[in-house]
Amino acid sequence: MNWKKTFVVLVIVAMSLFILGCAEKQPAPTPTPESKPAPEATPSPEAKVPEKIVIGGTLSLSGKYANEGQMSLWGIQAALKWLNDVNGGIDIGGKKVKVEFKYYDDEAKKETVQSLYDRLITVDKVDVLLAPYSSGLTLAAAPIADKNGKVYMSHGGASDRIFEQGYTYVVQTLSPASKYQTGALDMVKAIDPTAKRVAFVYEDSEFSKAVFKGAKEYAEQLGFEVVFDKTYPRNPTDLTPLLSEMKAAEPDIILGGGHFADGQLLATQLAELKINAKLVSIIVAPALPKFYDALGVKAEGIVGPGQWEVGVKYSPEAAKAKGIEYFGPTQDEFMQYFKEVAGEDKTPSYHAAEAGAAILAIAKAIENAQSTDSDAIRNAFNNLHMITFFGEFKIDPTTGKQLGHEMVLFQWQGGKKVIIWPPEAATGEPYYPIPTWEEKEQGKMATK
Amino acid sequence: MKKYIQPLLPVLTLYIVLLGAGLSIPGLWQPIAFIMFYVVLGQALNMFLGMTGYVDFGYVAFLGLGAYGMALAFSLFTDDGLGSGIIVVGFLMAVIFSILLSMAVGAIALRLRGAYFAIATIGVSEGFKYLIEGARLWGGSEGIIISSQLRDSFGSEMANYLSTFASDILIFAIGILAAILTVYTLHTRAGYALMALREDEDAAKVMGVNVTKYKVMAFGMSAVFAGLIGASAWTLKLTYVFPEDVFNIIYTVEAIVIVMLGGAGTLAGPVVGGLIYGILRYYLATVLPGFQLLVVAPLLVLIVTVFPDGVVGYIKRKLKGSRFSKYVI
Amino acid sequence: MVFFEQLAGNLLYGIILGAVYGLATMGLSQIFGVLKIVNVGHGAFIMVGAYVAYWMFVLYSVNPILSIPVALVIGLALGLGIFYIVIRRLIGAPELASLLATFGIGIFIEEVAKFFWGPDHRGFSWNIGQVDFGITLIPNTKLLAFFSSVIIALILYMLFQRTRIGAAIRAVVEDREGAMVCGIDVSRIYAMSFGIGIAMTVIGGILLTLFIPVGINPYMGGEYTLKAFVIAVLGGLGSPWGAFIGGFIFGLLENGSYTILGLIPGVEPFSLTRFVAFSALLVILLVKPTGLMGGE
Repeated sequence: MNWKKTFVVLVIVAMSLFILGCAEKQPAPTPTPESKPAPEATPSPEAKVPEKIVIGGTLSLSGKYANEGQMSLWGIQAALKWLNDVNGGIDIGGKKVKVEFKYYDDEAKKETVQSLYDRLITVDKVDVLLAPYSSGLTLAAAPIADKNGKVYMSHGGASDRIFEQGYTYVVQTLSPASKYQTGALDMVKAIDPTAKRVAFVYEDSEFSKAVFKGAKEYAEQLGFEVVFDKTYPRNPTDLTPLLSEMKAAEPDIILGGGHFADGQLLATQLAELKINAKLVSIIVAPALPKFYDALGVKAEGIVGPGQWEVGVKYSPEAAKAKGIEYFGPTQDEFMQYFKEVAGEDKTPSYHAAEAGAAILAIAKAIENAQSTDSDAIRNAFNNLHMITFFGEFKIDPTTGKQLGHEMVLFQWQGGKKVIIWPPEAATGEPYYPIPTWEEKEQGKMATK
Repeated sequence: MKKYIQPLLPVLTLYIVLLGAGLSIPGLWQPIAFIMFYVVLGQALNMFLGMTGYVDFGYVAFLGLGAYGMALAFSLFTDDGLGSGIIVVGFLMAVIFSILLSMAVGAIALRLRGAYFAIATIGVSEGFKYLIEGARLWGGSEGIIISSQLRDSFGSEMANYLSTFASDILIFAIGILAAILTVYTLHTRAGYALMALREDEDAAKVMGVNVTKYKVMAFGMSAVFAGLIGASAWTLKLTYVFPEDVFNIIYTVEAIVIVMLGGAGTLAGPVVGGLIYGILRYYLATVLPGFQLLVVAPLLVLIVTVFPDGVVGYIKRKLKGSRFSKYVI
Repeated sequence: MVFFEQLAGNLLYGIILGAVYGLATMGLSQIFGVLKIVNVGHGAFIMVGAYVAYWMFVLYSVNPILSIPVALVIGLALGLGIFYIVIRRLIGAPELASLLATFGIGIFIEEVAKFFWGPDHRGFSWNIGQVDFGITLIPNTKLLAFFSSVIIALILYMLFQRTRIGAAIRAVVEDREGAMVCGIDVSRIYAMSFGIGIAMTVIGGILLTLFIPVGINPYMGGEYTLKAFVIAVLGGLGSPWGAFIGGFIFGLLENGSYTILGLIPGVEPFSLTRFVAFSALLVILLVKPTGLMGGE
């Protein structure tokens, strides 16, 4: 056993020596995480106009985020179609520069992202990076982006914590996780002041915890009473124990969810146990048409938050009324391009829209910066305030967190998703309280 | 001395080539780090699986605990002014954690044989994950993010340097250390005892070999290396630890694939296996995004059926008796 | 009172879930018992079963119970195909080689499924009412899952105990050389056992959709591979009947412990139930290193 001890000591000594050696070799690092005092991006006129602009990123085309990855890719391709074919490219110094998207498959695995982003930067020489899907992967590749000084646009990293780490070049397109369930609470407060008892039932994972931490704080602010707040582990097979306990708490509204499979399971088992509430809002799962295919009439009246939904009322006219610039395709155009790349039978989910919008925001920022220099683009983002088909874009200059974008709340009504909140984006009235499970079994739809 | 150096030569040469290529060719550093992760993971598992023939399906728990050791060092001691010493503390914690777990698992599971052992270790790894999540230990399912602590203690440039370069160099160092230790073990009493144990545990016992002692030793050694890998390749490099990610059984399976691909119980085996696996995964992800597994999976099956002893095992058999055989063990 | 009502309800669900788990694990034990191969790709075959139920229901409006014969045929064909293409070559090879091969096969099946059917999470609704047990409501589909699982397990038991082929399989499990001497074609028995094992797993996938008809996707199997490993060992690897009983233990532990763990403040009780289930596995192995129904 003696040589084992010697070995452990050796390891520690070797490592400490190595690390100290490195620390000495490196000149004292100058911390520059603060965002620069924004000198207006004025590139010298003789700055070379690039041949083309390449945006690069990894998508999860296989593995646990394969669903979202495929949607993102289609959304990006649709946005690029508009950007290159309709807009002619990005206007730099009077010349239209075409935009390309270079992507690899990260399989939703944390090991692969760093090497693929390194390749995107050094081999493919991309100008701007699109972050991978999910908060974990976004964090994993962030040091690479930061080291190479590339703008790192998050289109699927919702966790608020990404933006609290002091990365300089991170920018977010979508609303952060803490906002996912606040819309439902706002709506209930506005239309039914008597509904006070809220139950939370959600997945025990980083993302859902962030969502419901935000929701809980907000609910208490609004004067709701949180009567149940419990989680279930990933990939549950049977939620009965949790749900029968929740039933006893007699909630008025139920907020829950996590990912696709468990969201479908949650709705199914609420139906089986006949747990009725005035409102059921589930994150992620209901946003996809497959949710309704799977549940049929049981899905009627179920509400879900979305970063975007088909039918949102963000249009050039609405932008004009607000006095904000509109950029990119209209929603109809986006839908048309999406169907061209994805196939006629496909409907974009918000994953497609947020990825497409991220590309548009990058394009607009480059155009405003009139340069592909990262600092210039990052500064341009600070001053960028616009509306796209995805909604408003305005970031917090220090952290890069999205402030302008608003989430919407949709409801399955008669087999269609109808946007019911906020009122200015709504395409229909909320159906409230939602039909009971017994009524739905009789074929009652959530339509008037 | 010669008997140690000769078999090390091919492996060390390969490391130097990889290191050189990574440093000199732009854009190759991270891909090589990616491949090295698999190489070293294979080496670490080989110390136990290759030497004893026991399949530890819960091996990822050691990597996970190593990752937590480093992350906890950052979340607990960032304000204590340790400077770069905090990384040493992190590695120490990683080592201590993995040794403790290996002792606990050893006490329960090493008495079991074959598939029972394999599945008991799954129980340990999965059980641990759900303990962390369920008891809200160490941040529960929200895990620990150390990016901001890294940047606060070292400044952003140094933090980036740590995550994108130093952690990779550490992986190389761990790999070299693992190779040296493997050669050394193979030529000591312990190595012969383990060899006997792998062939026939009961016979070895009858011959008076202290089977338990050597099993526990190999297990602990392998666990420590796993902890070090977790601490550097995950926590330092990726700057966050989520329990769902670090206790994912897929890493165990990948490690087994690598050891098997190359040849269990050989020195060069896991290195070759890791190389093949890493390169395949990386290049297919760039060439066939979305379809790479469709190609990797049948290839795996094919290789396994053609070389059941692994590539190095096959070469070793071919070289038996020739003068090159000294270089391949 | 509410506490005990909930506990009783959860245990009831636990029993049903356990029956499904049990049947979904029997194939794994069967293959291990005869071929000494741990099928790491087990979950992929459960996924295949779930998709069979889904497509039969959606395309031909055939309910999952009636899809069982289809699953049997598909499972046998898949199992025999894989056996003759790959597994046959691995008999007698190091144990690890077969681990890897089945791992590769599992991934391949998942990727093929994704290639053809996409990564979507699918599901269907088969509403045939429910029974009110007073303490809880149980949908008839779940009750059907329970009864079919028990019946199929019984049929298999008869098959193994009362038929020539069953006797031959048992003989090979007991003593391979001896069986060969007695004129049993061992390689045919291997093929049969692998085929039956896979077919059982695919059928397990069908019954699973009776329990949860949603969340069907190419990667759904991974979770069940893990659970099946544990259940198989609980019951004693290699014993399909042990696996069936192991399933009940696992289901009861998962569901039953929730209500009790929920009394502890400041934890996530549902996640802890899984900790309890895995700890129980370790305790059982500590007491009886070959599992509850294991021999020796």
